[in-house]
Amino acid sequence: MSSSGGDLGRALCVVTGASRGFGRAVAVDLSRLVRPGSVLVLVARSVDDLRALQAELARPEAGGTGLTVKCVEADLAQTDGVERAVKASEEAAAAAEIEHMVLVNNAASLGDVSRCAQSFTRMAEVDSYLSFNVSSALCLTARLLQAFPRRPGLRRTVVNVSSLCAVQPYPTWVLYCSGKAARDMMFRVLAEEEPDIRVLSYAPGPLDTAMQTEARSTTADPKMKQMISDLFAQGRLLSCEESSAKLMKLLLEDKFTSGSHVDIYDV
Amino acid sequence: MSDLFPAKLRTLGRCFCIITGASRGFGWALAHKVSHLVQPGSVLLLVARSEALLRTLKEELRSFASERELHVHCVAADLSTRDGVNATVAAAKRERALADDVDHVLLVNNAASLGDISGFVSFTDLEQVTSYLSFNVSSALALTAGLLQVFPHAPGRRRTVVNVSSVFALQPLQSWVLYCTAKAARGMMFRVLAQEEPTVKVLSYSPGPMETEMQEEIRRLTGISHRLLPCHEPADKLMKLLLDYDFRSGAHLDFFDV
Repeated sequence: MSSSGGDLGRALCVVTGASRGFGRAVAVDLSRLVRPGSVLVLVARSVDDLRALQAELARPEAGGTGLTVKCVEADLAQTDGVERAVKASEEAAAAAEIEHMVLVNNAASLGDVSRCAQSFTRMAEVDSYLSFNVSSALCLTARLLQAFPRRPGLRRTVVNVSSLCAVQPYPTWVLYCSGKAARDMMFRVLAEEEPDIRVLSYAPGPLDTAMQTEARSTTADPKMKQMISDLFAQGRLLSCEESSAKLMKLLLEDKFTSGSHVDIYDV
Repeated sequence: MSDLFPAKLRTLGRCFCIITGASRGFGWALAHKVSHLVQPGSVLLLVARSEALLRTLKEELRSFASERELHVHCVAADLSTRDGVNATVAAAKRERALADDVDHVLLVNNAASLGDISGFVSFTDLEQVTSYLSFNVSSALALTAGLLQVFPHAPGRRRTVVNVSSVFALQPLQSWVLYCTAKAARGMMFRVLAQEEPTVKVLSYSPGPMETEMQEEIRRLTGISHRLLPCHEPADKLMKLLLDYDFRSGAHLDFFDV
């Protein structure tokens, strides 16, 4: 099942953490690359930001076969959050005769980067972090793949927004690194099991986002903090738009090895 | 440190050793091995859910232990719970009083579970997945953190943390998403610890497929049989690595490569 080259087809695209930052940029880019009759499902906790994005993106063109944009207010760390995102996707795609399902697992949190691994004595804190950053990505992906099973004429693409931290350990970043490493492995297993699904772990690079600001101001390790501050001070942070554009290039070319980890600097 | 002692005298020192999942399988084999390699005045803290199995193990070690002045203490604790982790840390704190002059603290994070072996798309139950990660990832971090705080860095006292890992921390395997994901998370977690704490030596050790109940469970669930190693073989290799003590902190070493 190869890509048609210039676009992603008539698609159902689900993007988590779509209200801001990288997720928002991805949602915008996807909206421009899908054919009329497509559906874009935006998932985040902040419904106001989602609605603003929806207003920007929905294009009810002549004939009513533009882009349908749905907002789903959901906390993916809760069981009902995943359910709501899936239900909205099923309903929106019901009449759409989609030929491509694209899931972008982007929602994530940094975790407390002001502390060392040996300070994490409270299981509940680690559980809560893993629940949102690992478990919910697994369950959402599994539910959506069940809702949109393999069938002729349907391409399925699953993106895991990853990080260099999935591959390299960084002091005081134990939760984030462990969560990203877990996710990369999780999606490698998916790629092994389901060769018809195109699975990509995309590391977007250091982005100019709220998460980056949080990292810059709270990282405890002095070397790490210096490195992150330098990126900012030297104007080397990437815009979400430029990183998302690279992701789109990968998706359109569709040549990546399923399950692989691709860093923006490799593209 | 290995260059200070001729090979036949090498030991794990006067050691405070904590082994989780000690009641059977690999953990049980390690308890036996360690008990032979520590010096008088050492403490062995054995952690598992089954009090009965732990007592059997303690009994097996008893006469040897008393000759060797090895204090063996059992902690029946469910490490999938916060209470279990806290009880283990509390027990270590109490037993530390008996072992003020240990020169080596050794923690072996061995307790683990297989999880459901099932297709990726079947994992739609957030509670099931969270619960699995809680036992196999969160509790290893919380326990390691708690124990390193009970035994902070002190001159003349080395600290070693072992993560019992798997080739599947590095390599995906169909239908094993839970196990692979957790082992990958643990692998990274312990690499971060190694980066942060130059005074702790961290080793992720993959013992290979062994004759354990976990392997029986695998055979039952998948119908696949492997050639299995008796637990004492990978246990011996791990002991050798710990005695040589020249692994790079944060490394992942596999029984078949060492």
